[in-house]
Amino acid sequence: MLNKILRARVSELADKVNGQVEESLGVLELTINYPYVLEVLTRVKNFADVPCDFLHDLAGMDLEDHFEVVYQLSSLRGPQRLRIIATIERENPVIDSATPLWKGADFLEREAFDMFGIQFRGHPNLKRIYMWDDFEGHPMRKDYVIESHEQRAVMRIRKEGE
Amino acid sequence: MMIDGTQEYSVNMGPQHPSTHGVFRMVVHLDGEVVTNVEPKIGYLHRGLEKMAESRTYNQFIPYTDRLDYLAGPHNSLGYVQAVEKLMGIEVPERAEYLRVIFAELGRVASHLFMIASGSLDICGWTPWSYCTRDRERILDLFEMTAGNRMTLNYFRIGGVSHDVPDEFIPALKSFLDDMPEMIEEYYGIFFGNEIAQSRMKSVGILPKELAENLLITGANLRASGVQYDVRKAEPYGIYDRFDFNVPVLYGCDTYDRHFIRLLEIQESRKILQQALRDIPEGPVMAKVPKVVKPPAGKVYHRVENPKGEMGWYIVSNGTTKPARVRIRTGAFVNVQMLPAIVTGWKIQDLVTIFASMDLVLGEVDK
Repeated sequence: MLNKILRARVSELADKVNGQVEESLGVLELTINYPYVLEVLTRVKNFADVPCDFLHDLAGMDLEDHFEVVYQLSSLRGPQRLRIIATIERENPVIDSATPLWKGADFLEREAFDMFGIQFRGHPNLKRIYMWDDFEGHPMRKDYVIESHEQRAVMRIRKEGE
Repeated sequence: MMIDGTQEYSVNMGPQHPSTHGVFRMVVHLDGEVVTNVEPKIGYLHRGLEKMAESRTYNQFIPYTDRLDYLAGPHNSLGYVQAVEKLMGIEVPERAEYLRVIFAELGRVASHLFMIASGSLDICGWTPWSYCTRDRERILDLFEMTAGNRMTLNYFRIGGVSHDVPDEFIPALKSFLDDMPEMIEEYYGIFFGNEIAQSRMKSVGILPKELAENLLITGANLRASGVQYDVRKAEPYGIYDRFDFNVPVLYGCDTYDRHFIRLLEIQESRKILQQALRDIPEGPVMAKVPKVVKPPAGKVYHRVENPKGEMGWYIVSNGTTKPARVRIRTGAFVNVQMLPAIVTGWKIQDLVTIFASMDLVLGEVDK
């Protein structure tokens, strides 16, 4: 019943922003293009009857030709669940930040920035969170080269020698 | 230059400071003794588990999951194996499901006991520390006699558990459950009813309900702020829908309640354990799973209620033997954000108790 209402709301929203609705293992999935993300999240958060108002997770994902930011939404007051996937181009990965809607998105976005290099526009403090500040590259990208331990030691010696 | 009043200064606390419970560092901005801001700095234990998962097969990754929240190992692997099972559509044998619940709840009790123990140690209460760790040791003995390890069990498998429990396990667990009410009374008397503990913790570090929801806080910390939400009830995984237990909730929103709710949850876990012991059937503990685990292409997001908060596993499979992406949403990582929000205005000695009440474990924060 609830699922029906949610499906109706989501497909209505999908028509507006040119998105696709799918269902995978019982969870509704809305795929959109990155410029609509803040609008979609705001609407989804304020859905009547079935608000998906708890951002459970925010994660980056590398698909070789483009990036995705995956939002897992749920609610503390109902069984509704929704997954929103925003696709971003790989050359210039910029997307609107979700921190105006949820303060807690702060760390999750910093992690996605650190690991994938996705820029979140409007984030209050977009710095690396796990890696140190002058670390080069973004480790979770598929094209990131993991050097062997020996290679890294050689590189370190060379760098110190300079 | 003349300085009027107190000068603001910054103190670096950690990563080796004993009261940060691991390798957590924070830059504390102080005005005299009063904290004006805290900047959490994490990543000292970052091992890149998500990246490692991409170069390992599904079965090879199970031991790594225990290293996330190492104080409650079983629950992490539970989330992972259940997510993969969901993706492949595997039915787990009944006995294995019950054994999983028993181990997960024992892990929760062990984790909460350790949280109360270290929380009391942070306000110099040595006796509760030794009492709680004494009783936690009995749980670790149960783990050891089954899996051979005390904390990182590596006991769950995709499709069941690795082997059945030894014969002496059930009697030992029964006697532990029988002793539990007495233990809980003891903790109450020695720690929660203690005057010093109450005056140090009551109405310190208030996290209001709206702020907690906005900061995406989950787990016992959310329930201590007046939100009755538990994934075991809201979206039961495994066989949790068969058990009769309550979700405790407290409305004080302070450091004391965040400690006390753990004690209440231990009591609820005892109920679940008793019912599991009563109902556990005989039978196989492993389903028929192909040797090479190869889930069909697809995505799954599976949530479990970890002792430290909600844990979410987002697994994307591309139809090969290795996952395309394993995303781990850990409760403790998101819960770190409540520290700067609630600590402002309190003195530096309160910072230590407030930090203890968040119940972080750095293996989970740093992944």
